[in-house]
Amino acid sequence: MSKTFWHVLLFVLSMVVMTGCNGSKEVTDQVSEGPSETFNEEGFPIVDDEITLNIFSRKSPPNGAYEDMLMFQEYEKMTNVNIEWDDVPQDGFAERKNLEFSSGELPDVFYKSSISQLEAVKYGSSGILIPLEGLLEDHAPNITALFEEYPEIKSSITAPDGHIYALPAILTLNAARTDKIWINQTWLDHLGLEQPTTPEELVEVLTAFRDDDPNGNGKQDEIPLTFRNWSQLMNSMIGSWGMVDQMGNHLMVENDKIKFWMTSDRFKEYLQFLNKLYSENLLDRGVFTQEEAKFVGNMAAGNVGVFWNQTTDAFDKVKEHFEGISPIAGPYGDQLVPSSPVARDFGTFAITSENEYPHETIRWLDYFFGEEGSIFFRYGVEGETFTFGEDGLPEYTDDILNSDMGSGPAIGQFTPWPGGGAPQLVTEKNASAINPPKAQEAQSKLDPYLPEAIYGTPIFDEDTTKEVDQIRQDMDQYYEETTSKFITGDMNFDQWDEYVSTIENMGLDRLTEIYQEAYDLNYK
Amino acid sequence: MTERQKAWKYIFARYDLYLMLLLPLAWYAVFQYGPMYGLQIAFRDFNPAFGFLGSEWVGFENFERFFSSYYFGRLLWNTFLISVLSLLIAFPIPIVLALLINEIRNTTLKKTLQNVTYMPHFISVVVIVGMLDLFLNPDGGFINIILGSFGIEPIPFMEKPEWFKTLFISSNIWQSMGWQSIIYVASLAGIDPQLYEAAKMDGASRLQRIIHVSLPGIFPVIIIMLILDIGQFMNVGFEKILLMQNNLNLESSDVIQTFVYRNGILNGDYSYSAAIGLFNSLINFFLLILINRYARKKAETSLW
Repeated sequence: MSKTFWHVLLFVLSMVVMTGCNGSKEVTDQVSEGPSETFNEEGFPIVDDEITLNIFSRKSPPNGAYEDMLMFQEYEKMTNVNIEWDDVPQDGFAERKNLEFSSGELPDVFYKSSISQLEAVKYGSSGILIPLEGLLEDHAPNITALFEEYPEIKSSITAPDGHIYALPAILTLNAARTDKIWINQTWLDHLGLEQPTTPEELVEVLTAFRDDDPNGNGKQDEIPLTFRNWSQLMNSMIGSWGMVDQMGNHLMVENDKIKFWMTSDRFKEYLQFLNKLYSENLLDRGVFTQEEAKFVGNMAAGNVGVFWNQTTDAFDKVKEHFEGISPIAGPYGDQLVPSSPVARDFGTFAITSENEYPHETIRWLDYFFGEEGSIFFRYGVEGETFTFGEDGLPEYTDDILNSDMGSGPAIGQFTPWPGGGAPQLVTEKNASAINPPKAQEAQSKLDPYLPEAIYGTPIFDEDTTKEVDQIRQDMDQYYEETTSKFITGDMNFDQWDEYVSTIENMGLDRLTEIYQEAYDLNYK
Repeated sequence: MTERQKAWKYIFARYDLYLMLLLPLAWYAVFQYGPMYGLQIAFRDFNPAFGFLGSEWVGFENFERFFSSYYFGRLLWNTFLISVLSLLIAFPIPIVLALLINEIRNTTLKKTLQNVTYMPHFISVVVIVGMLDLFLNPDGGFINIILGSFGIEPIPFMEKPEWFKTLFISSNIWQSMGWQSIIYVASLAGIDPQLYEAAKMDGASRLQRIIHVSLPGIFPVIIIMLILDIGQFMNVGFEKILLMQNNLNLESSDVIQTFVYRNGILNGDYSYSAAIGLFNSLINFFLLILINRYARKKAETSLW
């Protein structure tokens, strides 16, 4: 080789060494330092001398700019904790979050950032995210009290190394954890039909919606049945075939035994039912391809027969036409309602090793998990954005509820909770917006059918996480793709065995084993 | 004076020019070659806390994982097929268009045709896919309305894997043929008119003039364009595929780049995606070298 070549190589190598050194980072234990000198253990302000935190956060479509949010502005005055927000729009958020982690220029706090279990373990054990359990014990009476009341929360967010690296949203209100089933009662009345209670009756009703022109405009333009997306479709009626998601995956727990149901015969029957709906044009064909905005538009327009949604805010103007119903009873009499666990939205809040004020930060957050603070978080300032009703519960002002931009976005201008995934506490006392009388009534139709327990997604140690992740990357994609095809008829049920064996070959047994271990460890 | 001394003297005489050369060289070193050291994460289990050099070395584990993935065969096949079809179908069309434009004598018509065909180039990919969605919608998309008037049942084009490649490639052609033809039109303009005159004198027909004068005239440009295209062989139009993708057409729309995006960028699995990306680039690299060598031998035109 020529000399020039070696010169170039030497140059490149020296570049590698130079830049490489900057990349590596000392892992240090940041929590060992105490709080700042002017820190107050109780009451406000949290610190006497102003401090500044740099917070990275997701901005959902209904949210305004974080620094303009009335609630946070008021909170800054109360606490002396000044926040510099880095609010990133939902589109492309995942990429930005990953960049934030890998660039080495960390914010002080990840807020409403959907930190996954994998991220919590990976970045927690390597020192990027700091353990929170000690801080919680010392400075977070509200969160600690919730942990005591709902012990499953703590076990579902504790990593196998015993540390808590991220905090969830806590929803003690059932209605905040389910999608209600809405049916167009006006259409039913118009056609003289009863609310469906079985799959056969549902098909009958939907067929009438499709053919008999229930909106009376002389055109067959009704959408009998629609869904937000593929995953909502899959979840919607699966409880009627006796299955719901547990531990954040497609499995059931029976007598302390884990069973994945993706390959079960019952699941096949459920798919056959969905296939029937699809092939008879009862199911909105757009489910597999449409953008979410279209679904929301369909709800708001009200030209739909049956759909699933948590609450009525998306179709406020036509809500009088709809009524909540109980889940249909499947062929074996099952009527389960899928629901998320009390600790929903894992990873809404995490503190990084860059943070110089972890004690102050936890106190800052804890307020929102108390009764007063959670109302402040979700409702803002009394007299300005909400008032207390006669029943003593907070209600948004009429200006906000009747806002031209819609109530969701109007609320999203002064608090970050609309759009989901924020660290928050949702109870009966602070949920009038997502739980108006109409939704409460619909929820009462579901309550008898909620599973006894909903287990949260477990956290595995790093090696297991990696293994689970590798199995699931392939398996989830195959599952999603193949079930879609079974439903649309692109794949024939003759190929069911092939589907089952493929899933099994991808490592289903190993996955069952891992989840069984996690169950035994966390929930038994 | 030795050769080396001569060279140094030569350089010294024009030292200012060589100093200017330093700047682009530094640019290449810092921005093009420097970042390549990051490629090593393909062989590591990358964790940002430990950096590029501190993360655990795992050798070929990431590659093995990709090669043994259930999707490996499908990804390779889709990527390959989309590339080959694009090359076979989409590559010649701008050339034909350029020859056509060249033959038009009416200047107004010529300019109009050129403008009309290259305008779609300026529409953003997102809008193009939105238009596809709209036009091909089984309920009320105008293509399906037209098909309906012939008594054909509505076809959900965007959901059918068998339609994906057709839609992808034909919309690509529609969008880019005018733009790509510009370079051929320009090189056609550079052909000596005397050659045409001579061919005419010899009694060559229009078609014969195209085949024997025009085509050989732009042949080197065609070869260069082909080599450049092949260097990008495995990089199919990633953004557009991603936008057109859904669960139902994944079977034929999933390509290496969208797989990298899903597993690497969205899941933060950098090492895995770096390994797949490296594999992809290596294929491109070897194809480029092969085709260049072949072109140099056979057509006596090449990049280097």
